[in-house]
Amino acid sequence: MGTFYSHRKLAEDTYIEIAGVEYEDFEVGQIFEHRPGRTFTAEENRRHALRSADLSIRNVDAVYNDKVYKGEQLIAETLILSVVTAMTTKTFNKVVANLGWKNIQFPTLVRAGDTIYAESEILGKRESQSRPAQAVLHVRTRAVNQCGDEVCAFERRLLIYKRGLGPYEAAGY
Amino acid sequence: MTEFAFASHVPVGENRYRERYGLDFEDFAIGQTFKHRPGLTVSQQDNVEDALDTLNQAMLHFDEHYASKTEWQRPLVVSTLTLQHLIGLTWKTFGKKVRILGWADISMTGPVFGGDTLYAETEIKGKQDIAEDPSRGRLTVVTKGINQNGALVCSMEYDLLVYKRDYMPFAQANY
Repeated sequence: MGTFYSHRKLAEDTYIEIAGVEYEDFEVGQIFEHRPGRTFTAEENRRHALRSADLSIRNVDAVYNDKVYKGEQLIAETLILSVVTAMTTKTFNKVVANLGWKNIQFPTLVRAGDTIYAESEILGKRESQSRPAQAVLHVRTRAVNQCGDEVCAFERRLLIYKRGLGPYEAAGY
Repeated sequence: MTEFAFASHVPVGENRYRERYGLDFEDFAIGQTFKHRPGLTVSQQDNVEDALDTLNQAMLHFDEHYASKTEWQRPLVVSTLTLQHLIGLTWKTFGKKVRILGWADISMTGPVFGGDTLYAETEIKGKQDIAEDPSRGRLTVVTKGINQNGALVCSMEYDLLVYKRDYMPFAQANY
């Protein structure tokens, strides 16, 4: 079992918080349970739509939503994906850039009031050919609702700094 | 000679026109490309708020001092904020979307920074009827995000369900 640390000692009785797990400490097959969970509300879904410049009628007209969509307060797929991806950032914090996703699925609908929890499995890791200070992590993230039903799953590749090669010291991290 | 396509308004009475939201499933054909307008400028403030709203802890998005020490030299926009804006900007064409079924692929092909302006365009790649539900059909599309300099920043392929023409609840709801 690996040991991961949340703080680094700066001096006697002085500690600084660490953001994220080091690339070198990830191993294929590890699973990270992300916390906290997160509850979705109807109001944030509406705000998300408006902020996204999305004028789809169901987001702004409840009468229409009642008649066409039988009043179901479904959470937008882009909001679910944003939140599930964001949930992984405490573990996958040493990121240079997010390269992309594959095979994003929504097996169970998410409704206002639902709470989701996410976990990520390390599928692969390799050093970058073109960027010697960086490496590529390949992960599968899945999220379940409060009943344990899978609501979102995807694979993702992200570019992360190798140990000691990020901007952390220069930025006071 | 300018050519036009697809009605923006539906006549509902004498000199009375109702704005139409979204094309019907029947209007789509494989190979069509839709350039969505307007575009949207993303600010660094939007970026901070999105990161905080979603509990995103990657400080590359909201700690400008840290970001100044990275190769980007300034905060990078949360990639899901870019893609939610791109999906949002498509509503005028895809307003009759039932829902998105899933993405086969999303590639973030270039960085997006506060102050950049995003434009979306979508190509129709596949179209099929749903045997068990005549009210809707399934489209496979590729939406691209292009910034103010014409650079491709995101490309994504996804499947969505779209309502068919004259599907009654739209009329019942006065749309």
